[in-house]
Amino acid sequence: MNAPGPYRIVGTRPLLACTILAGVFLAAAPFAASPGTLRLLTEMLVVLTMAHMWNLLAGYAGLLSIGHQGFVGIGAFGLFAISNHLSLSPILALPISIALCALIAAAVAPFLFRLRDAYFSVGIWVLAEIARLIVSDTAWLGGMLGLPLRMARNMNRDWFAIYTYWLASALALGLVVGIYLLLRSRLGLALMAVRDNERTAASVGIDVWRSRFLAFVLSAAGCGGAGAIFYMASFFVMPPQAFDVNWVVIMLFIVIVGGIGTLEGPFIGTLIYFVLRETFSQTGNWYLIIMGTVAVATMILAPRGIWGFVSARTGLEIFSVRRLVPGGRERTGKQR
Amino acid sequence: MDWIAAIINGVLLGGLYGLFGLGLAFAFGVMRIVNIAHGELIVLSAYLGLIAVESFGFNAFAAILPVAGITFLFGYLLQAVLLNRVIGNDPVPSLLVTFGVSIILRNLMVEIFGANQQAIDAGAIELAGVDIAGLRLGVLPLLTFALAVILFLSFQWVLSRTAFGRIVRATADDHEAIQLFGTPYKRVYCIAMGVSVAFSSIAGLLLAMRTTFSPFSGAERLLLAFEVVIIGGLGSIWAMLIGGIVLGVTQLVGLKYNPNAGLLYAHLIFFAILMLMPKGISGWRRR
Repeated sequence: MNAPGPYRIVGTRPLLACTILAGVFLAAAPFAASPGTLRLLTEMLVVLTMAHMWNLLAGYAGLLSIGHQGFVGIGAFGLFAISNHLSLSPILALPISIALCALIAAAVAPFLFRLRDAYFSVGIWVLAEIARLIVSDTAWLGGMLGLPLRMARNMNRDWFAIYTYWLASALALGLVVGIYLLLRSRLGLALMAVRDNERTAASVGIDVWRSRFLAFVLSAAGCGGAGAIFYMASFFVMPPQAFDVNWVVIMLFIVIVGGIGTLEGPFIGTLIYFVLRETFSQTGNWYLIIMGTVAVATMILAPRGIWGFVSARTGLEIFSVRRLVPGGRERTGKQR
Repeated sequence: MDWIAAIINGVLLGGLYGLFGLGLAFAFGVMRIVNIAHGELIVLSAYLGLIAVESFGFNAFAAILPVAGITFLFGYLLQAVLLNRVIGNDPVPSLLVTFGVSIILRNLMVEIFGANQQAIDAGAIELAGVDIAGLRLGVLPLLTFALAVILFLSFQWVLSRTAFGRIVRATADDHEAIQLFGTPYKRVYCIAMGVSVAFSSIAGLLLAMRTTFSPFSGAERLLLAFEVVIIGGLGSIWAMLIGGIVLGVTQLVGLKYNPNAGLLYAHLIFFAILMLMPKGISGWRRR
């Protein structure tokens, strides 16, 4: 690393202005965009949300999950089942489905946290498989055939697409702002301390278990909400797709390439992912092979991803969660 | 009588699952790496076996040696080219790299071999059976179980009685101290990863004679291997065999109860054991 210069941290006020601008842009987009563009935007926002949720866990809490497709599936099937069986509008079913994901995550966390590091990663994968197999074998959840979204039939399709898009925007914007505030809070500091050194963190009085638990539940709920919105937009959900491990492949690719443990990374990664996908979508499985290769190469050559690379050279931090000693804007030594 | 047959066949199947777990646990024990690509490498060995049998006219059992050799090389290269660059105190990089490798391997196999289910033809032995105490047992399951036990025995012997085994155990204990004795630990890591992959690959090849496989079977194989390790408990070679047998029996008895269940009951018993005995069966006994 070159001689460390000063940090260039974007201040709170410009950040707030940008957030409001982004909010206005997202809210107004349906009136300017074509239905096709809107669908792509919805999907991008959903994927961005998932990547942020995965990054919160992997990059800030040190818990690497290969089972987040389970929450995508539970969120989606939760929404479809609640809406169909209670004859509830999908828009009202969404918060219930998100709460369901949070509840399930809270229930399995005590057992999953018995598994360390890589064992946690695979253990949660087993849970996702259990969820998939149970859903595939339960008649009122549609079984192998999946579920259609019945309540959406009576609604105007154009407006439904716009509502879905707005939900995706609200979830993405809300969660990004929420994570940013959370990471700047005491809990955020505790999380990063636990990630960097669990024992030291515990020795200064941080409740390791509780910090991880909160991050895990939030991450699961956000991911479930994103999954629910994704399948809401397509009116139909089937177990093999909703519980597909490729969801995690996408999250992982975005976070690794963009920069793990940064809030800027998932934005960059999501853009790269969609460019790659739109370019190579005709080539069948090759785009997945390219994604895997790029992720492995990034891990070995630039483990901090694109944003880590940029940030290390320029000192630029947009969503800074760094705590500086008073008057100290000089960088010292090498960063994590 | 049907249930007893299901249990015995489960035990016989469990021998192969035990080998899946043995490979995974060995890599973890020596290098602290959980190889997410373990399942894909196991499936790859099945495809190599298929090529050996169909294109080169090998007998299915004779294909074991070349397949084990090639998969050893794969494991060795995986460690030498990729994993040795990222090992350290942080377990996340190696986990991510092996996950990336699993994505690449799975989709390459789809491109090369197609996505449909395949099986290795082991010849007339597939239909042969013997009657023992009124039960009809397949010769192929008995033979594969015997092979699995032989592999467990030879693994135990190599690890506890040979110079190589001593070096591996010493490296697992302290990879820095071993360098003082002139042993490059990264070489040991490469060989250990090769052995880990080769042992599980033999089981993958044998399993492919009994059930169908596709490029997407890798995830299932990895999860089985992982469950074997957790159920058996780390720290003993034979615990892997016990873990494999528990899973095999659960799976076959579960399928008899509900033919659509797949691996659901195997996954559930894993979760139950995780709740009741977090250290696995062997850890529970020792307490």
